[in-house]
Amino acid sequence: MPGIQERGSTHVYKVNKISKEEMESMVARCVYEDPPFCSAACPLKLDTRAFLKAAAGGDFKKALQLYEKATPFPLILSMGCEAPCEAKCRLCERGDGIAVRAVEAAAARYGQVSKLGSVFRTKKKKTVAVLGSGLFPLFLAGELEKKAYPVTVFCEQENLEAFLHCETEFLDEEAFSLELKRLKGKDIQFFFSCDLDESFFAVQREVFDVLCASEAVAKRLFPQAKMDPGLMLMETEKLVTGIGSGVMAAAFGAKKAAITVDRLAQNLDPRNMRGSEGPVESRLYTDLDEATALSRIPMSGKGYTAEEAADEAKRCIQCHCEECMKSCAYLKHYKKYPGLLSKEIYNNTQIIMGDHQLNKPMNACTLCGQCTVVCPNGFDMAHVCAVARRNMVSTDKMPLAPHEFALMDMLFSNGDAFLSRQQPGFETCRYVFFPGCQASAIAPETVKAAYLDLCERLEGGVALMLGCCGAICDWAGRYEMQDSTREFLLTELSKLGNPVIIAGCPSCRKELTESVGGEVIGIWDVLEEIGLPEGARGLERPAALHDACGARGDAHTQEIIRDLARKLGVELIETDYSGDRAPCCGYGGLTAYANPEVADEITKKALERSDAPYVSYCMACRDRFARQGRESRHILELVYGTDAGTPPDISEKRYNRLNLKRELLWELWREETAEMKLDFDLKYTEEARRLMDGRMILTDDVIAVLNDYRETGEAILDSETGLMIARKRLGNATFWVKFTENGENAFTVHGAYSHRMNVVRREG
Amino acid sequence: MAIERNYYTIDPEGKLECMKCHVPLIKGKAKFMYLDNGFPVELPVCPVCGFVYVPEELALGKVLSVEKALEDK
Repeated sequence: MPGIQERGSTHVYKVNKISKEEMESMVARCVYEDPPFCSAACPLKLDTRAFLKAAAGGDFKKALQLYEKATPFPLILSMGCEAPCEAKCRLCERGDGIAVRAVEAAAARYGQVSKLGSVFRTKKKKTVAVLGSGLFPLFLAGELEKKAYPVTVFCEQENLEAFLHCETEFLDEEAFSLELKRLKGKDIQFFFSCDLDESFFAVQREVFDVLCASEAVAKRLFPQAKMDPGLMLMETEKLVTGIGSGVMAAAFGAKKAAITVDRLAQNLDPRNMRGSEGPVESRLYTDLDEATALSRIPMSGKGYTAEEAADEAKRCIQCHCEECMKSCAYLKHYKKYPGLLSKEIYNNTQIIMGDHQLNKPMNACTLCGQCTVVCPNGFDMAHVCAVARRNMVSTDKMPLAPHEFALMDMLFSNGDAFLSRQQPGFETCRYVFFPGCQASAIAPETVKAAYLDLCERLEGGVALMLGCCGAICDWAGRYEMQDSTREFLLTELSKLGNPVIIAGCPSCRKELTESVGGEVIGIWDVLEEIGLPEGARGLERPAALHDACGARGDAHTQEIIRDLARKLGVELIETDYSGDRAPCCGYGGLTAYANPEVADEITKKALERSDAPYVSYCMACRDRFARQGRESRHILELVYGTDAGTPPDISEKRYNRLNLKRELLWELWREETAEMKLDFDLKYTEEARRLMDGRMILTDDVIAVLNDYRETGEAILDSETGLMIARKRLGNATFWVKFTENGENAFTVHGAYSHRMNVVRREG
Repeated sequence: MAIERNYYTIDPEGKLECMKCHVPLIKGKAKFMYLDNGFPVELPVCPVCGFVYVPEELALGKVLSVEKALEDK
């Protein structure tokens, strides 16, 4: 069998790229990072989701800290704001939205005011003066103090209480005294009973770097000047000022004004580099089925108690779009939403020149396409990973190690184990049965029964082709091998007279339809047409139907399988994530070879859906589930009354394919092929067989090592264990076998291991 | 010149024997090569025929981790 060459040079022109624009438009489909609707609606950009989470946990200190990021005066804001967040709460669609404002007020009351004020912070050098009173000057002074500017307020009022009373009539006594305390704690200098006229303004113009004023003061000083509401600036007078009335107008105006002050203080254009301001649109998807508490928690007094506020916050469903991560064990394993993971994989393949740390995640995706179905925007992670793999292959940067075993297995299927024959007695056949490599490897008796049945009941003759459809090299991104596999299959099909292909596996059907074209149907289509054969029997217990990822988007196949199951008398259990939403079994995309750990997690996740036996229509699914100890049957096993039994190990899978070919050649075409017989006696300990399966070492590899030992006598003896150890370099790996020799020409294998590095003796 | 690394010590000395030459393996000079990289190492070697032995714990430990690091370069 020919080998596959390990990569050599790493300087090959890049092909198979995703363009930057394509990647950006792909990443934009993932709405995970979009803000929740409450935050998006808030002009002050309060992280409402995190705020409610902290409050729900009773952590009002943290809740208040988050709230104070949005405003310097939490009680004033919570009692006076129009609460656009509440109107946008998704719970409104099913019941009462969250009473965000009431929870904010509770946080402002029960949260601790930060004891360490800004007094200890290093102040900025540029100074700012705020003239006037009311909500805008109050909020602006607070915002600027947060930004560490030395702020001085000049007002007409006589004292701090009178200043705070301006435009805050809605505050009750308790709230007023709390906010007064908060104001006193801030590092703001006040001058009271000021006469804010033109001459006063002219004097301060010389003293301060930036001047700000309330709307009333600014209009009085400069009645003709125009004010830009986006910048909160009278540009001709270089005066930052407020506009409009109401708490939110003042709070939002103060935020914008503070940015303008910041830009002016640095002598920069106030129009540039302002970042995102004000409310935004969100595309976030929220699964409202998770919402259970739909009624607002009533208030026992005029505001929430701490406990009531926490209970109300607990009703928040913490809007996050995690539809893909909920269903895909691969994304869950890497704990990254697809937008981010795709960006990282893109950078890994097309930008980064050093280590490729994303090789593993890129090769761990099963390429099954489930994410595209469950994502509200159809994000296609499989496309990203498949293109990345092809790109890595084309630039010669894809390591062979993760996929070599599978690729060699494919070469075996289309080499030693390949068989293509017309039905005995036919010169050309109308059909060719293509059961797929996994069916021959896992359930050879079922394949034989199916073929004999098709030969008997279909008119026009049914040829047989045992081989691989090319899905393996497609999944591995080895596009050149894919081309040669396609050519090979086209030639073989042409020799048969290009019959209609009857695929035994949905993935083969899909792959063959895309690669060789022509008419490709499934054996299920035929069975639906000609009916079940004699001996077909269902299961005694109800069974969960697992849809194959090869049949995703193929409602016709999914429905026929259900119909066949009904006719077999199987009571089917439809699980969550069935049909197009079905998860992969862990075999797809070669995950089982490249990353067995993630593949196991994927299989377990697929099995979480039901405790019942699983019925599938892809042999790889049948095998993966049985390996996890679940009663697992391929629908063809039920149709033909066969039972493939315990899953075979990797060597048995090869033997099964060869043996099926040999048996069929003899029984149907009377062609004799010699059964390969060893000229020595070989036994394996159970442990050795288990290790070999896990380490992907075949009995053929072991035999090659022992044959080499018998020829050369090269081995070592470990006197501690009493085991001999021999080795041979086969393809891209060196295989080591631990064995004992039991008399002449008899060996027992106790263990085996391999490494890909080549080792040689070094002189000098 | 890369630093020679000793990843394995024959303990007790003489426990490994070359079946072809019937002599104990000794610490000797060897080289690992993978994907255009070479690493000088010291491994158990037959002083007569030059058989280089890579013990299982080394193959599945250090050798595997270096392989993976090089594959991702």
